[in-house]
Amino acid sequence: MKFKRQLFGFMDMLRFKKMVPTRRKMLAEGPNTPLPQEYRTNVLAKKLHPGYMQVELTAARFVTNTMRELTFKRVDTEEFPFFRAGQYVSIQMKIGDSVVSRPYSIVSTPRQALENKLVLAVENAGFVSGYLNEKAKIGDRFVMTEPSGEFHYETLRDNHHIVCIAGGSGITPFMSMAGSLADGDEPYSMTLFYGARTAAQLAYKAELDALTARCKDLKVVYVLSDEEQAGCEKGFISAELMKKYTDLTDATFFLCGPQAMYDFVDKELAPLNLPKKAMRRDATCCGDLPMEHPGAFKLTVHMRDEVYVLPAKENETLLTSMERAGLNAPNKCRAGGCGFCHSKWLSGSYRVADGRDGRREADRKFGFIHPCVTYPLQDMEIDVPVAY
Amino acid sequence: MATKAKKAYDVVVIGAGNGGLVAAIRILQAGYSCLLLEKHNLPGGFATSFKRGRFEFEASLHELNDFGSPEEPGDVRKLFRELGVEDKIDWVRIPEAYHLITTDKKYDCVMPFGQQAFIEKMVEYCPESRKSITEFFELCNEVRDAQTYSNSVNGNTDSAYMKKTFPNFVKAGSYSVNEVLDSLKMPQKAKDILNAYWCYLGVDCDRMSFLHYGSMVIRYITRDAWMPKMRSHEISLALDTRIRELGGDIWYQSEAEKILADDNGKIRGVQLTDGKVIETCHIIANCSPHLVFGKMLEKKAVTEQMVRATNSRKFAGRGFSLFLGLNRSAEELGITSHNYFIYDTADTVKQYDLMKKVSTNHVQATVCLNNAYPECSPKGTCMMYFTTMFMSDDWGNVSEEDYFKMKDRVAEDMIRVFERETGCKIRDAIEEICVASPTTYARYCGHPEGVIYGYETAEWDSLMPRMMMMKEDALMNPGLRFAGGYAMRSSGYSSAYISGDLSGRQTVGDLKKEAQGV
Repeated sequence: MKFKRQLFGFMDMLRFKKMVPTRRKMLAEGPNTPLPQEYRTNVLAKKLHPGYMQVELTAARFVTNTMRELTFKRVDTEEFPFFRAGQYVSIQMKIGDSVVSRPYSIVSTPRQALENKLVLAVENAGFVSGYLNEKAKIGDRFVMTEPSGEFHYETLRDNHHIVCIAGGSGITPFMSMAGSLADGDEPYSMTLFYGARTAAQLAYKAELDALTARCKDLKVVYVLSDEEQAGCEKGFISAELMKKYTDLTDATFFLCGPQAMYDFVDKELAPLNLPKKAMRRDATCCGDLPMEHPGAFKLTVHMRDEVYVLPAKENETLLTSMERAGLNAPNKCRAGGCGFCHSKWLSGSYRVADGRDGRREADRKFGFIHPCVTYPLQDMEIDVPVAY
Repeated sequence: MATKAKKAYDVVVIGAGNGGLVAAIRILQAGYSCLLLEKHNLPGGFATSFKRGRFEFEASLHELNDFGSPEEPGDVRKLFRELGVEDKIDWVRIPEAYHLITTDKKYDCVMPFGQQAFIEKMVEYCPESRKSITEFFELCNEVRDAQTYSNSVNGNTDSAYMKKTFPNFVKAGSYSVNEVLDSLKMPQKAKDILNAYWCYLGVDCDRMSFLHYGSMVIRYITRDAWMPKMRSHEISLALDTRIRELGGDIWYQSEAEKILADDNGKIRGVQLTDGKVIETCHIIANCSPHLVFGKMLEKKAVTEQMVRATNSRKFAGRGFSLFLGLNRSAEELGITSHNYFIYDTADTVKQYDLMKKVSTNHVQATVCLNNAYPECSPKGTCMMYFTTMFMSDDWGNVSEEDYFKMKDRVAEDMIRVFERETGCKIRDAIEEICVASPTTYARYCGHPEGVIYGYETAEWDSLMPRMMMMKEDALMNPGLRFAGGYAMRSSGYSSAYISGDLSGRQTVGDLKKEAQGV
């Protein structure tokens, strides 16, 4: 073929020749105005996803004998990001020589975040939560990660009606979801079953009663296993009990509580044959392995141009070993799922906590690990990013 | 604790996106030291995957073009071979070219790979198109050959040779897609069907250079397209692994904040957000010149020429994607194609205009990965991803409080349009959902306005003059070259890899000249 657009082929050729001079001219004649320093979309991205936040403890009170509510404000800027009710933050602190952090579901609502207020409630159950319950005082400063997590309502996925089941301190994300619903920011209607041993162990009963009074789409049922109380059900959160209050076939379930509760509810709901999508469970932290005589190993950690050699134990995650040694290794969910601690494995065998291997397929192929759920089986060497 | 000796690097690559990863390998293969900095905790930039429930979603790759089979490799497979990563990745072939649907003219066309098969199919849809579509491919083949020649001489083409050997390339070279198709007297319907790939380049066919479009189409149709089985994350990790094998360093969660220069404007290092300084005289930036000259490079080194050149350029589309994990198989849902292009109108100029506003944009390029790789999700399920672009900064109007609702609104519209145009009802099968907006792209990759396509390759800034000016463009900022979607080759996986290859090899050239005292 012979391509020709203009009458004479050489005119097409000439036109081709002009492309470079034209572009050269256009580049030289661009406006000599300062290049933008900010872009609206990027400003919003930074607001919603600030990464790490500097926070200060502004108020604290006990909501049960063993659960302390902590209120924070941001000190690096004026407000917390707007988030999705049900999400968590990870709070980091130095205890002794250790640099430690734990994820906690947010109790306060997304609206309150914009008023520079973020509330957590921490059950006294371990090393870090013990510190937050007993030692942390007003005015203390912490590093906090941005709100994260997929335990939240999804308009296009979930049923309009949600059935929430809380066990003990698992009430926290539902406080935010109920509060946000009462604020008028959520499209769902919510029935909350809140289980505890005794009435004294129900945190936030007064707050929930007040929310129920002002929000017609919220219903709360208290279920006590060890005590008879007026206004509360006695027993466990069984299918039969739930059916008394709501339709279970046309709902999406949100569960937050101990593993034993998940197992119980799963069994109760099994006869309904609900699709997988109808059950959403909040993740729980990955702890130590129960082991009588755990092996002791050497863990070599590369962080940028530094190399650290530290002790590791067979029953502790690599993340725990690094924290113990005071290394600032990135982590968020501590449950294997968020991938924030993604690190390169270099040598040494390991095991991943049962049911918690949240790695991508190619991570396994090319030797990447999530230290928050990985236990050493011998001396190991890994390459880990610096958190900040 | 032991500390490695502090060292300066021959080259620092900023950004482990597709371009940066390849550039780093090229530097290391030539025997120079290289540090790759990445602000996120993963390599790849857009080339990654993420998990939700029992699904591992592909973040962005629809199909990798110019890849070809092991026996007849395309340019990108050849590049991967040279980089030493081809065999680290398991590949699957994409079954068909595309499924075009337009709301206005009710097109519903499934186009195959293979030049002859494509022509026959086109004639079936548009009987009077045989001559023009055949000529189109002849022209495209010449375009491809001319570009291969140009690459082989690193852009230093001999113009007499070009005119003699590739006359049609030169004659058609300054025209838009539509101008060339009109000259070939292609019937409107054939033009409409042929132009379906336009959204991959993000410029309407009145303003998109024929050379650019033709070279892409010919690569897709004759060399077909491929995917890594473990999503694009597999490619990114293969490249990461190769960099480590070659002795390179990669630092994740390490954001380069400043590019340091001396009083003569010569590059002297990079400073991270935490203040750490790394010495180097050569930088390859896998990010936009808007960020480099606007924020990163020390003010004293920013020249008027840099500011003018950067301001003269126009951002291409801002990305929006919806990811769905469905609890029924593609077959059960009636989803038959791998790759759908659904447009309001076959008129690319009108469509581009509609894409400027979030509210009037209903375009989608939609993939059901199971139709290329059935095992990508558990049995009885399938995965889909829907992508569109906004051709203005309209998304910038979204407020913080409305953000999640806006994401839902656009996602819902994508589902509505897909269901309406294909008749496949998917809504009730949604088990997992994730939405990425321009804000998400801005968050992870830092691109201004959440742009995913770099600078528009339209009119004066089209691909050909960019390639011909590669050398002189780089003279503006000695010691600094660009890779990735904002570089000379523009956006898209293959282009980004090739830009990394070019900038990597050119930087090696700079280093060699420097050693010789030139």
